[in-house]
Amino acid sequence: MDLHILDHRLRVTSIAKNGLVHFTHPLIKLIFLRNRTRCKFFSLTETPENYTVVLDEEGFKELPPSEHLQVESSIWLPLNVVSNGNASSSSQAVGVTKIAKSVIAPLAQQHVSVFMLSTYQTDFILVRENDLSVVVSSLEEEFNIYKEVGGESVPLNCQDVSNGLQKNGKEAIQPTVHPVLIPKNQFCVMSLDPDTLPSIATILIDVLFYSSSPKEETHSSSSQDCIEFFSFSLIDGYVSLVMDTEAQRRFPADLLFTSSSGELWRMVRIGGHPLGFDECGIVAQISQPLADSDISAYYISTFSFDHALVPEEDIGSVTDMLQHQRTEPATS
Amino acid sequence: MSGSKPDILWSPHQPDRFVICDSELGLYRIGPVGSAETKAGTLPLSEESAATLLAINSDTPYMKCVAWYPKHEPECLLAVGQANGRVVLTSLGQSHNSSCKDLVGKEFVPKHARQCNTLAWNPVDSNLLAAGLDKHRADFSVLIWDISSKYSPEASVAAEKIRLSSVDLDSSTVVTKPLYELGQNDACLSLCWLLRDPKLLLAGMHRNLAIFDLRNTSQKTFVNTKAIQGVTVDPHFHDRVASFFEGQVAIWDLRKFEKPVLTLTEQPKPLTKVAWCPTRTGLLATLTRDSNIIRLYDMQHTPTPIGDETEPTIIERSVHPCESQIGSFAWHPSSQNRMVVVSAANRAMTDFTVFERISLAWSTTTSLMWACGRHLYDCVEEGAEGVESMIEKDIATKMRQRAQSRYGHDTIQVWRNHVLAGGNDPQLKSLWHDLFYMKQCAEDMELKLQGNKQSVVYSGIKNIVKTSSGTTESRRCWSGSDRQTDVPRYHSEERCLALRLCGWISRGPEIDMEAFLRSLEQEREWERAAAVALFNLDIRRAIQILNKGATAEKGDLNLNVVAMALSGYTDEKSSLWREMCSSLRLQLKNPYLCVMFAFLTSEPGAYDGVLYESSVAVRDRVAFACMFLNDAQLPRYIDKLTNDMKEAGNLEGMLLTGLTKDGVDLMESYVNRTGDVQTASFCMLKGSPGEVLKDPRVQCWIENYRNLLDAWRFWHKRAEFDIHRGKLDPTSKPLAQVFVSCNFCGKSISYSCSAMPHQGRGFSQYGVSGSPTKSKVTSCPGCRKPLPRCALCLMNMGTPVSNCPGTGKSDEKVDLTRENKLAQFNNWFTWCHNCRHGGHAGHMLSWFRDHTECPVSACTCKCMQLDTTGNLVPSDSS
Repeated sequence: MDLHILDHRLRVTSIAKNGLVHFTHPLIKLIFLRNRTRCKFFSLTETPENYTVVLDEEGFKELPPSEHLQVESSIWLPLNVVSNGNASSSSQAVGVTKIAKSVIAPLAQQHVSVFMLSTYQTDFILVRENDLSVVVSSLEEEFNIYKEVGGESVPLNCQDVSNGLQKNGKEAIQPTVHPVLIPKNQFCVMSLDPDTLPSIATILIDVLFYSSSPKEETHSSSSQDCIEFFSFSLIDGYVSLVMDTEAQRRFPADLLFTSSSGELWRMVRIGGHPLGFDECGIVAQISQPLADSDISAYYISTFSFDHALVPEEDIGSVTDMLQHQRTEPATS
Repeated sequence: MSGSKPDILWSPHQPDRFVICDSELGLYRIGPVGSAETKAGTLPLSEESAATLLAINSDTPYMKCVAWYPKHEPECLLAVGQANGRVVLTSLGQSHNSSCKDLVGKEFVPKHARQCNTLAWNPVDSNLLAAGLDKHRADFSVLIWDISSKYSPEASVAAEKIRLSSVDLDSSTVVTKPLYELGQNDACLSLCWLLRDPKLLLAGMHRNLAIFDLRNTSQKTFVNTKAIQGVTVDPHFHDRVASFFEGQVAIWDLRKFEKPVLTLTEQPKPLTKVAWCPTRTGLLATLTRDSNIIRLYDMQHTPTPIGDETEPTIIERSVHPCESQIGSFAWHPSSQNRMVVVSAANRAMTDFTVFERISLAWSTTTSLMWACGRHLYDCVEEGAEGVESMIEKDIATKMRQRAQSRYGHDTIQVWRNHVLAGGNDPQLKSLWHDLFYMKQCAEDMELKLQGNKQSVVYSGIKNIVKTSSGTTESRRCWSGSDRQTDVPRYHSEERCLALRLCGWISRGPEIDMEAFLRSLEQEREWERAAAVALFNLDIRRAIQILNKGATAEKGDLNLNVVAMALSGYTDEKSSLWREMCSSLRLQLKNPYLCVMFAFLTSEPGAYDGVLYESSVAVRDRVAFACMFLNDAQLPRYIDKLTNDMKEAGNLEGMLLTGLTKDGVDLMESYVNRTGDVQTASFCMLKGSPGEVLKDPRVQCWIENYRNLLDAWRFWHKRAEFDIHRGKLDPTSKPLAQVFVSCNFCGKSISYSCSAMPHQGRGFSQYGVSGSPTKSKVTSCPGCRKPLPRCALCLMNMGTPVSNCPGTGKSDEKVDLTRENKLAQFNNWFTWCHNCRHGGHAGHMLSWFRDHTECPVSACTCKCMQLDTTGNLVPSDSS
């Protein structure tokens, strides 16, 4: 298996809901006017609390400083696992489940905090630039590690990064078990031809920026059970969308595309209060049991909470499993 | 595509059909503009061609790529790749054709929807359709579908599960199981099947080019590169592949796949299409975004690079098919260098043929040849014979003809050379007469004077008159009358020599022009003769000549009138005769008649009317000046005339400059004007003074002339010229460069031979016993060991050739005839430098007339073919 350290230097930011008005211009530019910016990595996720924006330094320059903008201080680097064609695993599962044992667990053991970002195309594991040496040294046994420099993949020699295993220096904290929330909406993970973005521009703007308009309010009678969640990402020219079926119905059906099986997903939101960026092992906590039962999962971290998406048909067993974990914490 | 960017595809089999695809597919037929009745829907593509829209298909939205079925039947079957990764088979302009009915509408659906970037039909196994898709997690990005496969049971199950798709799928037309799945966990941006083996598929993946082999799908050959877009195989050279990345094209050789064999110069804008010309080898066309030019790279003369660092040369040029920005282009599959271009904005099409570069070559014999595309044109100079063409022949043609007529080689009657040159060039005539008179004078002087005078003769009149001293002045009577003239005439030894050089007087102390006048009369140059007689102050003789001219056959009767006018001459300063003559003379057409009256009406010493009459031959004007200008006027006039001649490169001026540095200057401007190195070479060779021949310009002309003769394969002429040159310039003789040495003692055989007094020197230097009759040198003169044997007659070398015609006993006593000379050549040593076998030249020549291999048995050396010049035949016969 290959692990690629991608050539993006990312910032994780959050825009407060009431401050969105100050950022509509740069956001529209980043989403729709690809040729006007040099931003290559852009992800915008709307949650009830705020908008989480993950973007590279080029894109970050577009955002004006504001009291409504919260910025995580570190530079994050995206990692991507490429499984070689012939090393096909027996598992049919997709998403974080595939990398739970090989990447997530070792990093959790080394107390490396990770920020997950699943898209239609792949899963990005964001780690802090400072943690890179630890990441490399803890994963180099399992992976061929490549660093992408200017579009070329360069094999990374571990000596280049660190001179041996170096502890993170953080206290080994027994992971706390976070409360989970399982909203009722069904989600779909989709993609789109970037060339057709202009034709859905108005719908997309409406969904992204006017989700809390009064019209919507009246409609959500069962709002306690449903969560407001929409994720858009445009990374290296690939568009990925995560939305609930409600939002999906507003788009012309033939423009968005997804897997031929067209499966639907349920969400597990992790965290009772904002999780912060320092705690590690949160992803592992969820992905480990899913991997044990070979259940596919997408995982999207945001500024405040983490979100796992699991297949609709498996939500029952996942609920049971998490319930079980609560009662018998931290066995793994 | 995708609504904005159009693309073009030519039908693989119908040369007049093409499809334009943007948001829909449009089938067009192209035809000559005039032939079909110009219908309303016809779109002009160029001055000659127009397109008619035959059919439109808008069944397949969100097209990303299209590929035309490569086989004849079904005729117009297209595969369309869509934005969601589905591949749909569709058709255009087909009435319900049974052969493709069950194929049209068939859909091939990948497991995970993502953009279909590229499609490629297998050119041999045309059931196979490869589709290149974007990356989706761990899924495969290269899917090879079998279009003949029936729907699978799983497909219907899968279709059931599709809840998001709006398209109602008829499960019988949907195929979800590809024949091959390749390129896991990767994205595929471009595909092409390799022509060298239809089981090999070249794919431009995300950051690498990969070759998949369908016989073993777990293996792939790949190379990491950014240039992964638009992979395309050169149809003429199946190992050559082009791909691109942004503005840069990389050319790959599949046999040496590690890195591109070359990369083309990077363009500032990203490329959108790269295509090999199907009708011409090594021509690659590229198009960049927002551009109205197509750039062509000609790799026609590209050898495969030898070293790693050598980059072969490519000729790059641009064509500009239309004014608007180009959306796409497509080479016509069979018409030479033809393409259709579609504009980016309004679908306007242009039919365009790339004009081939013209290569041009002059032959050594003035014919011109040029090649353009597959045509070869030969252009030969016209009017070589028959009607005397208006256009003057090229100097090369003239020189070639003159070389054949032995121009320059008449060293006795030097003036005859102008006749050999064709006799119609007045400058050459003047030049060779000058040289003739110079030679005559020089020989004359040699007899009676000391040697140094000879150089004076060749130094030209300009130098001769400068040294003039002791000029006497005389006033003579008009001959035949007692009237004293007031015209002073000047005499000196040098002026006399000048007159001789001008050809007016011949040898002897007397200034006697009678011989000259008679020769002019003979040549029917009446006017000139009359003028010369008049300048000799013999007015009666002048009148007599004019009368003769008028009465002669085809004579001009007007000459009588002139004679009449002349007879009325009076030296009265203010007479009516004088007044009328000085004004009316200008109307006379003949320059000599004109100067006659100018002379008669001029004041003594003011003869500008004669001296500056440029139609009068230089020699006559100079002779006149020598007779009538005083010591102050004469050098001034000669200097001025010399400079004029030098500037104009007029060979008549050679009389003035002689064969001096001035003469070389004059010749230089003549050569610059005409290119006639032949005349220059022969003329300057006559100039014995060393400094003239040593002049680098002269050496340059001579060498060029020799090269010219070689190029014409006039080897005999060149040899003659070299001999001629060697006689006149002994320093030019080459030294012996080749010697034959004895195998045993290593001494030169020729050296020993030449030591023998009776050996002919000319042949001995080639190591041959010169006179076969007298001596047999069959052994080395140094060590007495025998010379090698001739491979054919098995005699020791040095034995004369026996059975060749022309060397019979009877001939041997005869003087060296031409046959005899050849016979001597038959005795020469010859040997092959490769196998070292040889023998008598004559034997060898006759052997190789019928054989290709060496005469020595068991030697398979193809000696004669190794001799590149041996097969050339001289084109001069002598």
